[in-house]
Amino acid sequence: MFPNRAAVEGVGDAAQLAEIKGRSLWADARTRFFRNKAAVVSLIMLGLIGAFALFGQFFAQYDKGFVDFSLIGSNANKGVPSIENGHYFGTDSNGRDLYARVVQGTGISLMVGIVGAMVAVIVGTLYGATAGYFGGRIDGAMMRIVDVLMSIPFMFVLILMLVIFGRSIFMLFLGIGLISWLDMARIARGQTLTIKNKEFVEVAVATGVRPIKIILRHIVPNLLGIVIVYATLLVPSMIIFESFISFLGLGVQEPNTSLGALINEGARTMQFGYYWQIAYPLFFFVVTIFAFFFVGDGLRDALDPKDR
Amino acid sequence: MFSFVIRRLAVAIPTLLVLVIISFILMYAAPGGPFNSERPLPPEVLANIEAKYGLDQPFWAQIANYVWGVVTSFDFGPSFQYKDRSVNDIIAQGFPVTLTYGFWSFVVAVTVGVSLGVAAAIRQNSWLDYLAVGISVGAQVLPNFVMAPILVLTFTLWLGWLPGGGWNGGQWQNLVMPVIALSTSYMASIARITRSSMLEVLNTNFIRTARAKGLPMRRVIWRHAMKPAMLPVLSYLGPAFVGMITGSVVIDVFFSTGGIGQFFVNSAFNRDYSVIMGITILVGALTIFFNLVVDVLYAWIDPKIRY
Amino acid sequence: MSLLEIEDLSVTFTTADGDVNAVNGVTFNIDKGETLAIVGESGSGKSQTAFAAMGLLAKNGRAAGIARFDGQNLLAMSQREFNKIRSKDMAMIFQDPMTSLNPYLRVSDQMAEVLMLHDGISKKDAITKAVQMLDAVRIPDARARVTMYPHEFSGGMRQRIMIAMSLLCQPRLLIADEPTTALDVTVQAQIMQLLADIRQDFGTAVILITHDLGIVAGFCDRTLVMYGGQIMEEGPTDDIFAQPSHPYTSGLLKAVPRLDKDEATLATIAGEPPDMSHLPPGCPFSPRCAQLLDNCRAERPMLETTGNRRRACHLPVQEDA
Repeated sequence: MFPNRAAVEGVGDAAQLAEIKGRSLWADARTRFFRNKAAVVSLIMLGLIGAFALFGQFFAQYDKGFVDFSLIGSNANKGVPSIENGHYFGTDSNGRDLYARVVQGTGISLMVGIVGAMVAVIVGTLYGATAGYFGGRIDGAMMRIVDVLMSIPFMFVLILMLVIFGRSIFMLFLGIGLISWLDMARIARGQTLTIKNKEFVEVAVATGVRPIKIILRHIVPNLLGIVIVYATLLVPSMIIFESFISFLGLGVQEPNTSLGALINEGARTMQFGYYWQIAYPLFFFVVTIFAFFFVGDGLRDALDPKDR
Repeated sequence: MFSFVIRRLAVAIPTLLVLVIISFILMYAAPGGPFNSERPLPPEVLANIEAKYGLDQPFWAQIANYVWGVVTSFDFGPSFQYKDRSVNDIIAQGFPVTLTYGFWSFVVAVTVGVSLGVAAAIRQNSWLDYLAVGISVGAQVLPNFVMAPILVLTFTLWLGWLPGGGWNGGQWQNLVMPVIALSTSYMASIARITRSSMLEVLNTNFIRTARAKGLPMRRVIWRHAMKPAMLPVLSYLGPAFVGMITGSVVIDVFFSTGGIGQFFVNSAFNRDYSVIMGITILVGALTIFFNLVVDVLYAWIDPKIRY
Repeated sequence: MSLLEIEDLSVTFTTADGDVNAVNGVTFNIDKGETLAIVGESGSGKSQTAFAAMGLLAKNGRAAGIARFDGQNLLAMSQREFNKIRSKDMAMIFQDPMTSLNPYLRVSDQMAEVLMLHDGISKKDAITKAVQMLDAVRIPDARARVTMYPHEFSGGMRQRIMIAMSLLCQPRLLIADEPTTALDVTVQAQIMQLLADIRQDFGTAVILITHDLGIVAGFCDRTLVMYGGQIMEEGPTDDIFAQPSHPYTSGLLKAVPRLDKDEATLATIAGEPPDMSHLPPGCPFSPRCAQLLDNCRAERPMLETTGNRRRACHLPVQEDA
């Protein structure tokens, strides 16, 4: 989590080594990443969670929409998690199989997180690279807009949008993505400012390549490392965002669900003693977020050693 | 200093205007919104809206009217839901609640976060340091909507110490859980930022000079290290403020504290646009004002960017 | 009794790559009112010796041995006792004046706190004294400028402020760690002149730590040459300059540009400064020494005293040719 001098020095050595042996930057980063135990464990956890979200449904004994009327009403004693009746995670207060619901919720949360992060990264990178490349007054104006937008509490505007245009997953993607590109834009701009003075960009400018082409061909590919790092760190923030809105009941709507919505349901029913109904979604939420943060951290150490 | 504040205000006011105009346009464009009368509204409400906005007037007149009301008299117009209450009535009812627990959450996040961060930095690699680092890493996965149920589970359902919700005029029992739920993740971030910036400052040459003067460590930290170490924390307070005011919505909904967040979510479900807009603008104004305060504080601490 | 006696001082830093011995068994002393130069390349341990004596080592550093000031062992003192001596009896100025003053506090506050702490006088009196001292180091218009912030002064002015600040309590010993390295050449000369004047006016003993032999000649009574955390040679400055007896000292002297000799190129010492975590078993200078003997690599030469000079070298002392 915190800069470790030894790690940084080790990274420096590795970088020198790479130069000597002519290894590619990426292979070198991979070596560094796999040296980080927390990141590797987290990556495995993420793989497991991804597999759970994708294939978990095949192991479910009940459909996610199926209401088990034999249990409803006596949830507290019969709806408890059990292997015997096939409700591995128990049932929710409506008698639905919680396992199937958690599989679905995890999948949707991951999807919102990844798509939201992608929207944010694409918009942010292009915006930041453009501002940084042109510099001067254009840069000033563009970054001023970012500053202004950053000082607006966007969650409120997003909720306003959800109310006006209807609560759909598409709106959620769009809204979350649009909120989150601001940080990415700042980072991309900062990097672009250093890249644009490199020789290969100057050569491109001198030979009359159009600015759009320079940005897409020469600048953006060189931002890739940092973009990947921040994309990984953005995914958990996106999941938190989505869960926040779904927790309020304004996000993902029934019959779909997400981890935030499941936590919300669990929080409502936990006072009746259905602790498992909050425990399982909470567990998957916490593990997912943790894993993404550690992987992101590991990637940052691996790809962006100077920063630390 | 005065001209510095004026210059900041010159940016803040247009920002706020943009926020007001965007909100109004969104509301105006809303399908099924009040301005295209697809939805049958109670006649009294319709009369209120009619009187306020003049629905027969063109768009520009309406928006000018609304902005003028907001700017000159903080008048956000009538509610679309309740026939006898204006947005201002609702804000007047909910805002003091939000302000109370929001204030305490902020105080807790800053004081505990800074103390923990400073202590961790001074006793680097001690158990205190590991505790602080552990908390700040762990709290990344404990946003308010996760903290709130965990707290209720522990202190209400298990231990039975605290009421699971309600406001009760702001009794301390009702304050404890909202404040902890809202402040934890920001407290952790502040602790992390404080720790790393304090460690950085303690390695600077001017701290070495201060130690060479024979000042006791306590004085070195308070007089020489504190100000520069607080600068990154100060920059974080703006985003933290936005995060907390956003989180207050979850607190209000989960703990039924009756703050503006509860009205906000209710209005979102009931399409009470004017309340949503009113609260959004209020929150935006607060944020912008807060950022202004942070900027001024920053300039006050750092002599190099003064005036 | 000498003012400061360093006996068998060692400084070790614990790092992730193992321990690094920055200073290895250094012994020397300085008398009241004397000036001593400690000369060496970066990494020779000269600054760390001073930091150890001032109790300013980085967190991962440990000092072993004895550093006796006025008969009291500084290294065995409590932090509290040590704080009473620092700045009051022995003060230090640093290499980089641009970063050595706190940018967030007024010069007046930074200077006054020293006097308020050690002499217990009021802030008003302390500032009056601070202004006098700033006058003494020739800061123009000191009375008005004392309330400014450090960034409003130039580098040379800031080093003057540092010097003034270190002299506020009229310490008996001033350690100046590369005081002119970060400054322009003309400013360097002014600062050295200032230090010389101060020594005369206040009778302060000065330890001048530098890699620049050029500024040592006119200023210091004695010179001590360090390499690889050890003392290579020590003696009266004039003698050392006239007759260096250690190959490293000779190398250093040849590397000083001189106006009175018309040389096309400046001599350098071949090789790199030593890796302090892996010193050779013999003489630390042996990998770079031009006059290497058979036993230099294997056997560490002892520091031997002859008359008023000390040297650590296997090479027999050469008589004047």
